[in-house]
Amino acid sequence: MDWNKILEFARGPFFNVALLVFVAGMVYRLVRVVSLGWSPDRVPARGSKAKGVALSFLKGILIWPFIPWVKGTFKRNPIIYLAGGLFHLGLFVVIILGTPHMLVWKSLLGIGWPTLPLPIVDWLAAGAIVAMIILAINRVINPVLKLISGPAEWLNLLFVFLPMVTGYMMTHHLFFRYEVLYSLHMLAVDVMLIWIPVSRISHFMFYFFSKAIHGADFGKRAVTP
Amino acid sequence: MADSIYHEMKKEGVSRRDFLKFCGLVAGAIGLEALPPVAGFHDVAAKNEQPLVEWVAQALESKPRLPVIWLEFQDCAGCTEALTRSQSPTLVDLVLNKITVEYHETLSAAAGFQVEGAKQMAMKKYAGQYILVVEGSISTADDGVYCTVGGRSSLDLLKEAAAGAAAIIATGNCSAFGGLPRAKPNPTGALGVAEIITDKPVVNIPGCPAIPEAFTGTLAHFLVFGSLPELDHLLRPKTFYGVTVHDRCLRRPFYEAGKFAASFDDEGARKGWCLYKLGCKGPTTYNACASMKWSGGLSFPIQSGHPCLGCSEPNFWDGGGFYQGQSAPLQRSNLTQVGIAAATGVALGAGVGIANARRRKKPVHSTEPEKKE
Repeated sequence: MDWNKILEFARGPFFNVALLVFVAGMVYRLVRVVSLGWSPDRVPARGSKAKGVALSFLKGILIWPFIPWVKGTFKRNPIIYLAGGLFHLGLFVVIILGTPHMLVWKSLLGIGWPTLPLPIVDWLAAGAIVAMIILAINRVINPVLKLISGPAEWLNLLFVFLPMVTGYMMTHHLFFRYEVLYSLHMLAVDVMLIWIPVSRISHFMFYFFSKAIHGADFGKRAVTP
Repeated sequence: MADSIYHEMKKEGVSRRDFLKFCGLVAGAIGLEALPPVAGFHDVAAKNEQPLVEWVAQALESKPRLPVIWLEFQDCAGCTEALTRSQSPTLVDLVLNKITVEYHETLSAAAGFQVEGAKQMAMKKYAGQYILVVEGSISTADDGVYCTVGGRSSLDLLKEAAAGAAAIIATGNCSAFGGLPRAKPNPTGALGVAEIITDKPVVNIPGCPAIPEAFTGTLAHFLVFGSLPELDHLLRPKTFYGVTVHDRCLRRPFYEAGKFAASFDDEGARKGWCLYKLGCKGPTTYNACASMKWSGGLSFPIQSGHPCLGCSEPNFWDGGGFYQGQSAPLQRSNLTQVGIAAATGVALGAGVGIANARRRKKPVHSTEPEKKE
């Protein structure tokens, strides 16, 4: 099998098409969500909605890394809370502050930025992979999660896990030749890009909507989120 | 039986001591750490435990000179140039004197019908024994009219010469994978040797140009063992193409540390930091540049401050920009395409929204009385 040809396809036309499908899909989802509109607000507000939104975002950004123990979710299941956090942190650092990924952004957006040294990115990537495995195990053994996990949830895990693992193997030249792993990595990324709009991985965008709506609700009732 | 290589050297006044030195050099050139898995040799070697130099000496003492026919097609003669200007004079000596170059368009003093006639004679005399070296890609489009020698197409000449060859060495990216002539849109229908000749052993020594020592090492291997060295999936000798340039790069520590040159004249470039951000293709390029280097171990592109172009890999010319980071996608959508994609999303969203709203109108009416507050 000519892996160079597969790599050319996965880095070239397939990636391009996957990215366009991703854009079209996310815009579609966005239009659908925005067109839902705000539900009519018939009750006079007791507090500031804007303050509630600001507070909601601040807590979302500050609590996990610094004071997670104030949250009930953390107290009830700290391992899962930390695994989820570690996964998101690792993912963010790898795809934004990893040099090869920054170069992808640079070629797409036209602007680049300084990146972190490989060992730091590497350890966080490893952490994210371990976190994903822990979360998958949790999904298998937790009876409630098991009940609400359909094929889509498992595919979510798989489609994010594959790019992470192939990327990690590629960095360390494990088991296969570099271009083989590079091809697999790109194919996995392409599939994931197409999958994101139709799945709940789209929460990377809708997270901010729900945070805002919940925050406004809390603010209106003058309660601390 | 023709005289052995040792006898030829002896006649030229080479002493036994110098001959053994030469054998050591050849063993080094083949890149032998241990005996390669060549049928016959390995078992004997295991019993005798002879040093490698003695193996080489034995082979050179018993074998006649190796006839070579060197064809040039869509090339720039750069591989020949690199070979003749290699800083290892004894190795060039090996190729140009210890083997018999029967035909070589660039190096021949003769020209025209005489030299073509000599080639025909050599092909007859050494049928089934000679090594065919090909430099340059083969034009296949329009009956090969884009590359002819003596009025015959490159395709025709290659097939004729390959028929009587013991093995074929394709030197340089052009003859190995099609090289620059094959760059899009490939007007001449350029192909590499292995895509045309499938019934003979072919070994690729890609590069632009091929590293002379990789070429001579492969040839020496054939001379000593009578067979080609172990090859990878792209038919390249594993000895020289076993690891990536990145793996042996002297700037690798800077890659690990995240220290990159961002332009050719910034502080990082002056300090010799990694050239990954400037488009270095080292991580996917299998070649011996970083370990063997060029001009007698003087330097190689990355050492001199230029990123690797990946010239020992197929289609390197079309593999994205030379100065674009390797991880970057090969194709980019323009704004119009992105706009069309976004507009499609908007249209789909609006369409589905309107359709849903229409469908919802009736049930909303019927459920209204049940609404509680």
